[in-house]
Amino acid sequence: MSIKIVIPPGLRVFTDDKGEIEVGGDTVGECLENLAALFPMIGKTIFFQKGELFNFGHNKVSIYLNGEDAYPDELGRPVKDGDTIHILYSISGG
Amino acid sequence: MLNSNELERYDRQIIMRGFGEEGQEKLKQAKAFIAGCGGLGSPISIYLAEAGIGTLRIVDLDTVDTSNLNRQILHWDTDVGVPKAESANAKLCNMNSNIKIEALRETIDESNVYELTEGCDLIMDAMDNLGTRFLLNQAAIKHNIPYFHGAVHGLEGRITTIIPGETACIRCIYRGDIPKEKFPVLGVTPGVVGCIQATEAIKYLTGIGKLLTNRLLVYDGLGMKFMELSVKRDPECPHCGHLPFKKEE
Repeated sequence: MSIKIVIPPGLRVFTDDKGEIEVGGDTVGECLENLAALFPMIGKTIFFQKGELFNFGHNKVSIYLNGEDAYPDELGRPVKDGDTIHILYSISGG
Repeated sequence: MLNSNELERYDRQIIMRGFGEEGQEKLKQAKAFIAGCGGLGSPISIYLAEAGIGTLRIVDLDTVDTSNLNRQILHWDTDVGVPKAESANAKLCNMNSNIKIEALRETIDESNVYELTEGCDLIMDAMDNLGTRFLLNQAAIKHNIPYFHGAVHGLEGRITTIIPGETACIRCIYRGDIPKEKFPVLGVTPGVVGCIQATEAIKYLTGIGKLLTNRLLVYDGLGMKFMELSVKRDPECPHCGHLPFKKEE
């Protein structure tokens, strides 16, 4: 089982500048936890706490599965070999 | 009715397939609200002015600072300390004397957002914070006019076109606010993003092409890639959830 996770440019400082990481897992949540195991700082950016996406009263992180918004219940979504997960965080500059 | 100067000035776009004098007339009759006159607002206002949008209402409270000059291309060395609205007005009036500029030195907040956007045909998002974007999103929904979203950070950009009641709105996509921050940015990033926003506005007004609706375009300048993500209306959206859904949604 190989799932591709696309890392946004702003978070590549935590992945040795890698823009795509292959991980295993049966759900989006498992894949992201496996990513966090490889790159702990990514985990601190994505997860507010175990099993919950980063949230400080606000929802900063969005997850897209195969190009589709995975909201709601992003972490529980099942994945299959060849799927792609995009991590997207809010930006607001103008 | 287009005058002889306008017919000559806009000739290269009038001869585009599907555009014609009819399309140019639609641009002339239109009024665009441009929220902010900084990194995004500069290319947006320049290209909408050059395209011949009849009226540009530009709102910005700030004055030009030296640290703006790497990206806010409407403002120059000699403008430091000058209100951005005043600086923009001077440049755009010289750029195209056929159009009308309404440059207002105001902040956009809950008390005035509906009044400021009243009578406009569309809203161009050139803000630097998500909170004001949410206010503009609500104004677009209230007035039932499109909202052309853009945002930048470093060499990243996001763009989408919002048609109230038909497409995902900004609140469907970003489900919460984030703190205003001093964000890193290279001047070319708002150049790329602002030009795409302006393209979408012109397409909308003239009715040509396919709009960037229900699609979030993600620009990765570092990898030089454009990525398209599919977005959809959220039935629980606090901004647009009350609007009726079509059967296929």
